[in-house]
Amino acid sequence: MTETRDLSLTIEHLTLRKTLFVCGVLLLLLACILLGSALVGSQSLPFTSSLCALAGGSNCGLSSEQQAILFDLRLPRILLAGAVGICLATAGAGYQALLRNPLAEPYLLGVSNGAAVGTMVALVFFGQHEWSRPVMAFGGALAATFVVYRLARGRAGATPERLILAGVIVTTFLSSGIVFITTLMDATRIRSFTFWLLGDLSGTTTSLLLITFIAAGIGVAVLALNARSLNLMMLGERDAFDLGVEVGRVRITVFVAASLLVGASVASSGSVGYVGLVVPHLVRLAFGSDNRVVIAASALGGAAFVILADTVARTIIAPRELPVGAITALIGAPLFVYLLKRR
Amino acid sequence: MLEAHDITVRYGARLAVASVSLKLEPRRITAIIGPNGAGKSTMLRTLNGGLEPASGKILLDDHPLSSYSRRVIAQRIAVVAQEADLRFPVTVFEFVLGGRYAWAAGWGWETARDVETTREVLRETQLEELSGRLMNELSGGERQRAVLARALATEAGVLLLDEPTANLDLAHQAAILALVRMRCDRHETSALVVTHDINLAAEFSDHVLLMKDGKSIAFGRPDEVLTPELLKAVFAVRVLVDAHPITGVPRVTPVHETVR
Repeated sequence: MTETRDLSLTIEHLTLRKTLFVCGVLLLLLACILLGSALVGSQSLPFTSSLCALAGGSNCGLSSEQQAILFDLRLPRILLAGAVGICLATAGAGYQALLRNPLAEPYLLGVSNGAAVGTMVALVFFGQHEWSRPVMAFGGALAATFVVYRLARGRAGATPERLILAGVIVTTFLSSGIVFITTLMDATRIRSFTFWLLGDLSGTTTSLLLITFIAAGIGVAVLALNARSLNLMMLGERDAFDLGVEVGRVRITVFVAASLLVGASVASSGSVGYVGLVVPHLVRLAFGSDNRVVIAASALGGAAFVILADTVARTIIAPRELPVGAITALIGAPLFVYLLKRR
Repeated sequence: MLEAHDITVRYGARLAVASVSLKLEPRRITAIIGPNGAGKSTMLRTLNGGLEPASGKILLDDHPLSSYSRRVIAQRIAVVAQEADLRFPVTVFEFVLGGRYAWAAGWGWETARDVETTREVLRETQLEELSGRLMNELSGGERQRAVLARALATEAGVLLLDEPTANLDLAHQAAILALVRMRCDRHETSALVVTHDINLAAEFSDHVLLMKDGKSIAFGRPDEVLTPELLKAVFAVRVLVDAHPITGVPRVTPVHETVR
């Protein structure tokens, strides 16, 4: 009797235990994907020796070349993919709850482009300071978020159609900004920039990786702390206000946190699209709409998704590589159409 | 207890509510009726702190409403608005549990008491069997009951209801107001109902506030306020008022001039 009651509890609403269980399972999955991704590539690495080396062993039987591939090429790239996935997926979940729209996504809202313009301005004008990239990207993301929110908000609130149109306007406007800045660059750099714009995880540095992870940590923590408020806000701001949510404060906090996440991700890897759409959607399908689980599971699931997508991007036509954004868009765009049709 | 003294509310230059006073007492249901644009909903939003009055004061348990935090107001005043459209799938249980938000204690997880209160309210509103269903799978009547259930889950002593029976059929209209009546009687709750349904107001309310153009035209028991003269003055429609043959409360029937 008590057992069926417990079971019904887990179906009806979310508990801390259920959330921890979901996170545990996803963490395991993420570890497997991380390991798998480290082994495959244009040159595949031996399983046991690599596992031994990753676990910190010294005499694992990897050649120095293999050692370099694992630790200098693949691992930083995989870690960056993971950080980018955390940032974009949780930012997407945050925007969706705040804008009351499951179709909201950093790339489609134009927020990624805002961050891209910020990054490019930093590269062109403050190229010698690496920290200027994430800072300017954050500023760009914040500005784009603000503009798209103001444009989307009509008298009846932000309808999905208005929001998507506002996103298109901001995106195209900023795209012309990007083209303009590109013309200021010399020809040799243009190709690498086009690649970067579609999401490029190859050119990371330790400090950039660290900044991305710190931003991811702060952003996810802030979103998670506001998750219960977001549960009410995603059902209507007025209702949320009536139930005790300080709507204005939560809105600003979540906008800033989501912009920080997008800024950090774009500064380190360009605009990887659709991650913020695909991952929260799958998470909601599997675990329900409670933002406490949506944000935590999106962080882990987002990391897994981008690592997987990047593994495909660098192996499918090896030794040549695709931008990771091309793979995520290939998966995300059809899902977007499906969601739009189903509404 | 919630009191409004001479409150005036403006939207820019437009006067929406002009020095209206109102006192919501425990166990009493007060209905606000009046034509569209009379300031009924504005009055309700102002009483909840959603709008700032230009002048006058609102007292909640003898202290100014503005001296309370959003959270404390939500613990003491619950609002039942017309349902918003839900774009995310949430279960009835999750939805009603949202009413416990203002009572959150640490780490943002519901306590056993929150869950128990939610269960009680679901029983009270006869939604127990639907608790695992998704909100957008419910019928209009069931959904409005869930909206009421969420307000009841707050355990607030004051209920403000904004047209809670709009879009509901006869049986569901009565069911909603019967639940409000029961809550008022059992929990010393006071309720304010904004409605367009004069007969429903006559049947369920203890007091009626008649409003027009932001002004209070009359306040009193239903049989004092719902008179042909006052209703004609407010709605510009001739009405016939007689006593309901079964309940004895005033029964209002419009007399349309075009019909013979």
